[in-house]
Amino acid sequence: MQTIDLLRDGFASALSWGHLLWALVGVTLGTVVGVLPGIGPALTVALLLPITFNLEPTSAFIMFGGIYYGAMYGGSTTSILLNTPGETASIATAIDGYAMARQGRGASALTTAAIGSFVAGTLATIALTFFSPLLAAVALRFGPAEYFALSVLAFTTVSSLLGESLARGLFSLFLGLALGLIGIDQLTGDARFAFGIPQLLDGIDVLILVIGLFAVGETFFQAWRHGRDEPEVVALERFTGMSREDWRRSWRPWLRGTAIGFPLGVLPVGGSVIPTFLSYSVEKRLSPRPEEFGHGAIEGVAGPEAANNAAAAGVLVPLLTLGLPSSATAAVMLAAFEQYGLQPGPLLFSSRPDLVWTLIASLYIGNTMLLVLNLPLAGVWARVMLVPRSILFGIILVLASLGTYSLNGSMLDVVLLFATGAVGCVMRVHDVPLVPAVLGLILGPLAELQFRRALAISEGDATVFLTRPLCAVLLAISAIALVLPAVLKRRAA
Amino acid sequence: MTRRFSTALLWASAVLVCQPCAAQPAIDELRIIAPAAPGGGWDQTARAMQQVLQRTGLVRIAPVENVPGAAGTIGLARFIGNEVGHRDVVMVSGLIMLGGIVTHQSPVTLHDVTPLARLTGEYEVIAVPAASPFRTLRDLLDAFKAKPESISWGGGSAGGSDQILAGLVADAVGVSPSRVNYIAFSGGGESLAAILGSQVSLGVNGLAEFAPQIEAGTLRGLAISSAERVPGVDVPTLREQGIAIDFENWRSLVAPPGLAARDRARLEALVAAMVASPPWRETLARYRWLDRYLPGEGFTRFAVTEEMRVRDVLRKFTVGQESVRSAPEPYPWLVIAGLVITGALLVRQIARSSSVTPEASRPPRAPVVLLAVASALHLLLLERAGFVIAAALLFWLAARAFDPRHPLRDGLFATAVSVSSYVLFARVLHLSLPAGVLGRWL
Repeated sequence: MQTIDLLRDGFASALSWGHLLWALVGVTLGTVVGVLPGIGPALTVALLLPITFNLEPTSAFIMFGGIYYGAMYGGSTTSILLNTPGETASIATAIDGYAMARQGRGASALTTAAIGSFVAGTLATIALTFFSPLLAAVALRFGPAEYFALSVLAFTTVSSLLGESLARGLFSLFLGLALGLIGIDQLTGDARFAFGIPQLLDGIDVLILVIGLFAVGETFFQAWRHGRDEPEVVALERFTGMSREDWRRSWRPWLRGTAIGFPLGVLPVGGSVIPTFLSYSVEKRLSPRPEEFGHGAIEGVAGPEAANNAAAAGVLVPLLTLGLPSSATAAVMLAAFEQYGLQPGPLLFSSRPDLVWTLIASLYIGNTMLLVLNLPLAGVWARVMLVPRSILFGIILVLASLGTYSLNGSMLDVVLLFATGAVGCVMRVHDVPLVPAVLGLILGPLAELQFRRALAISEGDATVFLTRPLCAVLLAISAIALVLPAVLKRRAA
Repeated sequence: MTRRFSTALLWASAVLVCQPCAAQPAIDELRIIAPAAPGGGWDQTARAMQQVLQRTGLVRIAPVENVPGAAGTIGLARFIGNEVGHRDVVMVSGLIMLGGIVTHQSPVTLHDVTPLARLTGEYEVIAVPAASPFRTLRDLLDAFKAKPESISWGGGSAGGSDQILAGLVADAVGVSPSRVNYIAFSGGGESLAAILGSQVSLGVNGLAEFAPQIEAGTLRGLAISSAERVPGVDVPTLREQGIAIDFENWRSLVAPPGLAARDRARLEALVAAMVASPPWRETLARYRWLDRYLPGEGFTRFAVTEEMRVRDVLRKFTVGQESVRSAPEPYPWLVIAGLVITGALLVRQIARSSSVTPEASRPPRAPVVLLAVASALHLLLLERAGFVIAAALLFWLAARAFDPRHPLRDGLFATAVSVSSYVLFARVLHLSLPAGVLGRWL
């Protein structure tokens, strides 16, 4: 039980009142900055890093842990309350979270998100503590063929998000896929569909589409409806914590979300979109009341939020054991670790066990601090729904514009933001679901790139997708996920 | 937590950041532009400079701005477009930007900016996974010469330093670079994972990324691009294995075009002071960067020879590939066909359902029209009048669209929100927002 001894040493150096204060500062700053649309975890960590430059390593790591988890969690608050996911990881949360908020159950949604994040973060950190080397070895078996199969599996989740009309859902999906064509072809470096506009060379930032369709689109849509229907009056339920019913419906999604999020987070490609949507889709499939999804099912918040935080912890596995930064956030953290003479890589655990275990202990502390900070705040945040709508929409538009401009400092991005806002409004008017478009934009380029990479490596031999066992298994699961519901439905009928 | 408390925390942190400032910094504020996303080599260079400049007190505050995209050429275009003659801004650049300019046929080049100095260099390493059958570079190149396409080279983005080295090596052993089966990955992590997992035959990457792996025995370094062996790194050079190539991924610093001679001299002096400082030495050692400080004319001449070398090898990559490249990829056209078909279906469905909607349910147009006007004004004013004015106007008009009864209250909120978010983001967190006409007072 050497691991436990080392972890105890880590806690011994991390636990002190001074350090706990840094954890609190880190969590608060991470959450405050992470809440803003467009400022994702990578930028949050990069912006806040200079603050840690002047601290001694242990305090700095404690603060990292706080900032990291805080930034990951921050996005969910605006997703739930304002239908404004600040980063891609919290899109899935917005679907049912915002529906709950409009029904006055915002506090319950925030609480299940906070507890789910804590449960998932803690379980995932435990898994990180004990199984890192093993998991990292498995992750390396994923090559382009497997990533292609994984993105196919993620595509099958779209089928649970299409809504009532197949034509509308598919149109939305193809819209996203088409937007994903824009930009440099990564394999050859050639520009595609960029129309000679240099800012389009890197493609359309997913965040712009997300903030445009959701935040700006929602505002436009409310203005369009204004005066047409009775305005929705949000009556807040008296919030006394999650109800027994909420707990009963949440705990399984938390655990399943963790089980989905952590291993997928360990994989060096993919980010947090695939795990959150897989979790959402699994919850909908397993639920006895699938019709509630999209209209405020608490499972649709609990699962993806847990998956998101578990994936965030998973990202640290390849970073610490192999020195592999598998996301932009991880790359920023890598640079930060190097400031302290920590050289992440295969030898890290043996060369600097003191710092590594302090860092891991910090993750536990940061995660706990997040819960301590956010549970009492859930009821307070939920009152945001009582702010007059005119003020609320003003704030949303200003923050959306600020976040988008600060992405690349490009005016074209802000123009695109309002243009996608208008598109999002028209889509809502005609009941076209928005989420498939976002998934299309994220998954389309990933699937295409990995498919072509796999073929380039195999010199054009398409059988690689079937002869590589992991890949074949993933494709088989995808096929089952697509066909099984139809078969079950037929049998039930 | 109350808003006041969190503001206090932000202030406390802001004070902490400025703690070691020397009494009289040479420059009050110097913006450093990293033409890449957070995490990459240019971003690391910019943030390392930020730290050194602030720590030594040469600059009071040195915010880093990321302008990512297209191997730095998007950042370059914006730098040239927006910063002409500005004296307090520099941009990180380097070899990869030369590659990007060629690959993406950038209309602007490094000739359009004011060169300051080359700063660092990083050797490239060719490595294979520990389990690979290739024991030496000779084994590998024999297999490559016999059947070039069967060897897959994993490395960073197309046109970058890794691909350039792959092309130089192929060229040197008499294989056309167009036959190099180069698999481009985005970012160091993704390509390192593919190499460690034996998904590709070999990897090309910077020494800093590979060194810990070679040390740990997970990768076998077959060749390093330095002229002589690097102390502490047990990898033979390309030269000692009969391939006459010296190659470094160098990074440099440039200033905007149209800079007055006096301002240029001031920035050059600042860079000279920075590279001579002990914190910069520590930074170089930590990141395993080579000190390649080369100011003024020497740097300009160096950049010109490197540009010719890069152009030459990248051109060879595409020779004979025109026929392959112009063949239409099926995927984009499938997507476009799908979009057209589902779009047509959608329009038909909507046309059908709207014909039965009674005329009376048409909504009043005023709010949405007002909102559209507000958005258009915001877009017009954002860079001209500045963020505060554009945002306050957007807020106020949007609020009026929903509820026109409280113009004064809405005006107060609009001002408060736009001013406080500007101060928080632009002043405390140093994100770049257009300051506009009010910038001087905020």
